Amino acid sequence: MKLLIVEDEYSLRHSMIEFLTSSSYLCESCSNYQDALEKIELYDYDCIILDIMLPGGSGLDLLKNLKQNNKTDGIIIISAKGELGDKINGIEMGADDYLAKPFHLSELAVRVAAIIRRKKFQGKSNLIIGNISIDIQGKRVTIENKELDLTQKEYQLLIYLAINKNRVLSKNAIAQHLWGDDMDFPDNYDFIYAHIKNLRKKIVAAGSEDCIRSIYGEGYKMQIA
Amino acid sequence: MKLFTKYNRINITATIIIFLAGSVAFYFVLDYVLIRQLDASLRSEKQEITEYIQLHQQLPEIQNTKEQWIQITKASQPISNSITKTIPAYNKSENEREYIRQLIFMVTVNKENYLVAVNKSETETDELLKLIIPLTLSMVALILLFNYLINRRLITSIWQPFYNTINNIKDYAANQQSLTLSKEPIDEINLLNESLNKMTEQIHKDFYALRSFTENASHEMQTPLAIIRTKVESLYQLAEGKEIMMQQLLSIEDACLKLSKLHQSLLLLTKLENKQFILNELIQLKSILEQKCEERTELLESKHIKLQIDAANFEIHFHQHLAEILISNLLNNAIRYTAIGGTISISLYQKQLIVSNTGTTGSLDLDKVFTRFYKASDTGTGLGLSIIKEICTSAGFSISYVYEKNMHHFIIGFQA
Repeated sequence: MKLLIVEDEYSLRHSMIEFLTSSSYLCESCSNYQDALEKIELYDYDCIILDIMLPGGSGLDLLKNLKQNNKTDGIIIISAKGELGDKINGIEMGADDYLAKPFHLSELAVRVAAIIRRKKFQGKSNLIIGNISIDIQGKRVTIENKELDLTQKEYQLLIYLAINKNRVLSKNAIAQHLWGDDMDFPDNYDFIYAHIKNLRKKIVAAGSEDCIRSIYGEGYKMQIA
Repeated sequence: MKLFTKYNRINITATIIIFLAGSVAFYFVLDYVLIRQLDASLRSEKQEITEYIQLHQQLPEIQNTKEQWIQITKASQPISNSITKTIPAYNKSENEREYIRQLIFMVTVNKENYLVAVNKSETETDELLKLIIPLTLSMVALILLFNYLINRRLITSIWQPFYNTINNIKDYAANQQSLTLSKEPIDEINLLNESLNKMTEQIHKDFYALRSFTENASHEMQTPLAIIRTKVESLYQLAEGKEIMMQQLLSIEDACLKLSKLHQSLLLLTKLENKQFILNELIQLKSILEQKCEERTELLESKHIKLQIDAANFEIHFHQHLAEILISNLLNNAIRYTAIGGTISISLYQKQLIVSNTGTTGSLDLDKVFTRFYKASDTGTGLGLSIIKEICTSAGFSISYVYEKNMHHFIIGFQA
């Protein structure tokens, strides 16, 4: 899977490259409009992560260029202007998703994975983590042909953990992924713990090993050898 | 009051007063002049009689007419000066009372004293005066009418450009293009238009400068925050086995989150104050309310909060995004300040939305409750309620807070 990361901020670009590379994506990057334009004209990517405000031009113009050339690269806009207008603009112009800065890298990973799945496999691929098999299109989870009966939130949580496997995810990141960011969370995240506990129980009951680990109750990790 | 009405009122009052005063003065002057004329003719009559007597030493033969008659009587005692006076009399032929002007003087014929009274009727004078009153009144009415017609014509045509200008600026909002009012032949209005053009151009520029400043400031601030957050996320991977590090990283992440929320809230408040939202979408508050409550199910369960919703289905002119923020903030606020095991009840009707929750702290400070950064506890940004208030203000809703029977009630009236 080849990704292009277009972001002018050095630190942020490198964090993204580091994170996504460790999720076994092949990452290319550039930091300005001109370079980005050359790259998207020359190569095809599975997904392009696009900042809007770039030195030398707007990310939205790159988006326009892609659409005019009938490119099918998946596009996710990351913008600091958390403006509703920008979001609508971006989506209307053909972006697949929009993520406002600041965001969690794990959230970005989930969105990128979703776009690639949709674009590349028409949503038909199964996500296989250890002996857990997730049929994204049918929203079914099976462990050794035994189907798991998961709630909506548990299902979302499982996918989130699975895509970010072997990675520590903070309570904040999980809460934001599951409930969005217009909620405000109490200091204790007991209700997240409850979901994790239920998910673990169901996985274990289906005969799989307990692969979700709690990191001092501050974060969680799905450990797959 | 309209300019024209005001002008007319003053104009008509002044005209009436001037004409009335003028008519009264005119009446008296005319009366005086006519009486003097009568007196002069009486004196010339006296002159004739005196001259006749001096010449012939006998009384003249008297020829009375309807307008003038002379009575001669023997004087019982002599008078030195002649007397002029107005006396009432009865006119038999006309069968009415009238006033006559009388001049009485003494003549001596053959050493006998006679009193001669020369009478003249004042009827003609009176009639003349009586004619003047309706004449003046009709003159006043005529002048007023013409004045009114001319003024109306004149004022509407002269002031038309002024009214055009007013109509143009009436609906002017800072976020629209600057005005381009036309050039007018009248200097004052031209000056007004030019000043308004310049002013709105400046307002427009300032508005956009401020707007792009807030947007850019937001951008510049979110990027470093994004960097901190992604770095923290990378560090989590190294924190396994180090509990303190994990906790500290979580605190950094929390602070980051709070900072970016704070910033978003301030940006939203600025936009609300700048009236950057157009509130013309038809919104179903009920579905938003249900969705937002649904999102918070787990949160409510974790605090064992009982939620009662009583909502009517109706549409309202509002803004989708703002409606979501409004409801979210009300819910967040209620959930935050409800103790474990408490109750939140929401009633939504065409008239108003009431969000009530059981409170443990007693009444909030009524003066400060909607003030920025006012917090009843140490959680939250302290901007939630001021955002609610600003949204209500810009949508023309009323918002109030009451504490009653251990419940906090936030009441939003849609028809403020």
